[in-house]
Amino acid sequence: MATYLSFQIILTFSPLFSLFSTLQSSVFHFSQRFTTAVPESCMLILLGLVLGAVVLIASKKQPYQLDPGLFFLFLLPTIVGDAGYFMPARLFFDNLGAILMYAVVGTLWNAFCTGFCLYGVKMAGVIVNAGLMDFLLFGALISAVDPVAVIAVFEEVHVNETLFIIVFGESLLNDAVTVVLYKVYISFVEVGPGNVYTADYFKGIASFLIVSIGGTLVGLIFAIILAFVTRFTKNVRIIEPLFIFLLVYLAYLTAELFSLSAILSMTFCGIGCNKYVEANISQKSRTTVKYTMKTLASIAETIIFIFLGISAVDKSKWAWDTGLVVSTLIFILVFRAVGVAGQTWFLNWFRLVPLEKIDQVVMSYGGLRGAVAFALVVLLDKEHVKAKDYFVATTIVVVFFTVMFQGLTIKPLVKWLKVPRSTNRKPTINEEIHERAFDHILTAVEDIAGLNGYHHWRDKWEQFDKNYLSKLLLRKSVYHKSELWEAYQKINIRDAISVIDQGGNVLTSARLSLPSMASRTSFPEVTNVTNYLRENGSGVCLDLQVIDTVPGAKIEEDLETHHVLVENLYKPRRQYQSHYSRHFMTVGEKERQDREVFQRNMHNRLESFKSTRYKRHKKDRNPVVVPMAPEEDKHDPPEPDKDDDVGITFVARKAPETPKERPKSAALDGCQSPVAAPPSPTCGEKNLPWKSGMGSLPPCVSVEATKIIPIDLQQAWDQSISSLESLASPPEPQHPRVSAVSSLGGPVWTPAKGKSGAGSGSNTGSPSSLQFKFPTGKEDEEEGTLSQRQQEMQALMSSLRQPPPPATQSAGKRRNPCVYLRSLVTVPPSGAEPQSRKPTQL
Amino acid sequence: MGSFQSLPDDHQYRTLSLKTGFSLEQIAILHNRFKQLSQNEETLRRDDLKTIQDLESNPIRYQIIEAFFDRRNFQKDGVGSVEEIGFEEFLTVMSYFRAPAHHITEEQREEIRRAKLRFLFNMHDTDNDGTITLEEYRHVVEELLSRSGALGRETAKGIADAAMLEVASISVGPMAPDEFYEGITFEHFLKILKGIEIETRMHIRFLNMDTAVFCKQHSV
Repeated sequence: MATYLSFQIILTFSPLFSLFSTLQSSVFHFSQRFTTAVPESCMLILLGLVLGAVVLIASKKQPYQLDPGLFFLFLLPTIVGDAGYFMPARLFFDNLGAILMYAVVGTLWNAFCTGFCLYGVKMAGVIVNAGLMDFLLFGALISAVDPVAVIAVFEEVHVNETLFIIVFGESLLNDAVTVVLYKVYISFVEVGPGNVYTADYFKGIASFLIVSIGGTLVGLIFAIILAFVTRFTKNVRIIEPLFIFLLVYLAYLTAELFSLSAILSMTFCGIGCNKYVEANISQKSRTTVKYTMKTLASIAETIIFIFLGISAVDKSKWAWDTGLVVSTLIFILVFRAVGVAGQTWFLNWFRLVPLEKIDQVVMSYGGLRGAVAFALVVLLDKEHVKAKDYFVATTIVVVFFTVMFQGLTIKPLVKWLKVPRSTNRKPTINEEIHERAFDHILTAVEDIAGLNGYHHWRDKWEQFDKNYLSKLLLRKSVYHKSELWEAYQKINIRDAISVIDQGGNVLTSARLSLPSMASRTSFPEVTNVTNYLRENGSGVCLDLQVIDTVPGAKIEEDLETHHVLVENLYKPRRQYQSHYSRHFMTVGEKERQDREVFQRNMHNRLESFKSTRYKRHKKDRNPVVVPMAPEEDKHDPPEPDKDDDVGITFVARKAPETPKERPKSAALDGCQSPVAAPPSPTCGEKNLPWKSGMGSLPPCVSVEATKIIPIDLQQAWDQSISSLESLASPPEPQHPRVSAVSSLGGPVWTPAKGKSGAGSGSNTGSPSSLQFKFPTGKEDEEEGTLSQRQQEMQALMSSLRQPPPPATQSAGKRRNPCVYLRSLVTVPPSGAEPQSRKPTQL
Repeated sequence: MGSFQSLPDDHQYRTLSLKTGFSLEQIAILHNRFKQLSQNEETLRRDDLKTIQDLESNPIRYQIIEAFFDRRNFQKDGVGSVEEIGFEEFLTVMSYFRAPAHHITEEQREEIRRAKLRFLFNMHDTDNDGTITLEEYRHVVEELLSRSGALGRETAKGIADAAMLEVASISVGPMAPDEFYEGITFEHFLKILKGIEIETRMHIRFLNMDTAVFCKQHSV
């Protein structure tokens, strides 16, 4: 009952504590001076000491204790769960041999040596009187390296990955050893040392195997269940994270229930399921899981360390024995160092990358003890273990010493020894590629050499995983994507986001992020390259000529700015639905707008591909002008003969009144139009950022187009961009809304009035004035801006224009881009646009 | 330990050992394997390697097999490929995958690194022109992805192109518009793989090597 009460109290106070301590730790985080010198764990323990002292003085009695029940049921699982789930699996299994060695042999060595030596010291009469079993028990619980302490300290030290994974993996896996030893000794102590027979020792060994292997199996079974469950959560995204937390925790509880190693179970559940679960769940769930786990783990960590501090103050719980404390400290340090050195010497025979002396020093020094030991010692039964109070005191000192002193000094030590640090760098695509290539090369060489080495078996496992496990546990949609693809995708998303972060200025960011890969000559057949890219929607535009030649001239800048403004300053006008559901989250307002801007940018980039592709494919059938004025042309005097260029056709037509008529374009239009955009999933999914690519944003015009477009076609360019936006990827003859444009005939650029009037204006078809038709499906608002834009543009352009001198057709052939244009802009095939279009010839 | 002493070509083994750095015992083991693969012939052909069961599922097996018959991997300025190789060539190629000795100087390490990277580079540079062109690179990625089936080709192209772009931006930096990137040269190859500790990673454990090293260390 008392336990229950204290438990209650703890539960009541923990939120307070966690709030308080989280605040504290965030303060520590802010204060640079503290964090660089003092690990958070030390500060938390100190804080706990102060708190404990205050409470003790106030109430004369310590109401809070680190309760083992609370610790093992709630605090430890959160930390272990986090550790297991986010364990770098590849690294872990690459070093599994070393980890197991340290975890099993090392812990046993430490436990026995410490136990026996303490007993020896006791025989010498220096320390408290207790039986051999008691000392062995104490040795067992004090010898295990503690995951909580190791994470807390090592995460701040940033040693290299291999070192970290070895120490950390050891701290997780040695749990099985500790728990078994502890339980075996407890039972020995309870029956009395006299009643222990030889068979019992074997039972102990057997139980070790059962506990560790059983725990691992339970974990793996839950991992499979969890992965399998997440395969079917597509429609209940909101409870995906819940499944993960629950099942991982359930793995812990189940193992605990069967007296198996709960930590092992949870760790392996996390490691096992991670790959499949991460692939199955949505991005949001991934984020949720990540942050929730990390938050819970750090709260638990904070509480543990504070409670450690608080518990230490309560003098009624422990009894001091200098001899015991000092000799324990010495023994654990010495045996740790000796054990590590010995095992490393042995391991280095087999390791491909030997562990250096420096690594060994850090490993021995990083053997931190922590809350697990404390909880275990508090759990001891005073009836049977008479010296419990002494053990408690010693444990507290050991924990404090290792966490405080070693934790404090390990950072300078690491610096001083020049231990290779971890680089927090994301691998580049090339590194990814070559990493995969390595694996296969090494496997192949092993196969050729006839050796069944590590790579051989890993390859076998991967095949098995590929052929059976992944098939069972992964959604069909993800099953076919290889890891390399994933990596590529991630990199693309990252790039896309960074583009957006740069303000979404499409053109500018293109210049920044893709420094001129440049030029048509770069690859044997660049047209194919660009084609490939367009076709598979992959993200690279190799043809950045266009941007590179964009001049810094004022006019160009104006155009650009204007364009960007029009594209991005966007006032969403949509209907809100008040909608509440616990299980389905609607997209938040802000988020929606963000996404819209994002989509819009992506859309633009995609469009630029589409426009080129469109032109490429259709130039023989369908006149489309996608001109882009290269620099040199801009500053040239206007082409003399464009007026008379008969071959150019202007097509204006009445756009279909109903958006239904162009179903294909609807999706893309959606990105343009405020109403359609947010809810339409197609926008998000069709215009996936990585599909439209890393650097493709510029009006990426096909090679031919860039060559020859005169300045006057700038308007046309602008026009066609906007009209193309409404065009779906493959232009359909049924909705040829693109009007060919060139200003040849028209001395004056007439902004189409009809446009602003919701597309009701008729196409005049008069040779002297040009009309640009836009599909009516567009929002008025947008059209307004468009026509406005044209006006502005016209003003800009007209300043450049000079009276066109008359020219003959032959002149045009001689050097005029329009000649080329004619091939682009031919008379539309009559069958293509039956009624809606009026081809006009100049 | 005496088993290899009695072998007839012990002297030859010693020469090979000096040349490739393998221990005599490793050479004996590899020689057995060689004979097994070549069906007791003096020389090994491509087809012999292609019959290896485990290799079948390896996506880049052709490149690896090619590497065994590539003259560039036998001597510094070799060109072209050969039809069949003897045991010495076999060992020479294998020696690229030897782990470096435990204690070596920085220069030696760098040298080993270069040698290993050169091997990789040659493997990708199939036409031996000193650069890995986009086509060649694409081919590599394609083969890497071939095991994942459906998504295959198009993705591979996308990835290879992206990777190529990345190489260009890393190794050349901003280029003038009329410049173009021809392909990855060896220098650039070194540059882009700077982050990977290849000298400690590109090796496999040949049987008994560690004990051999260990014995040597202790006999000294």
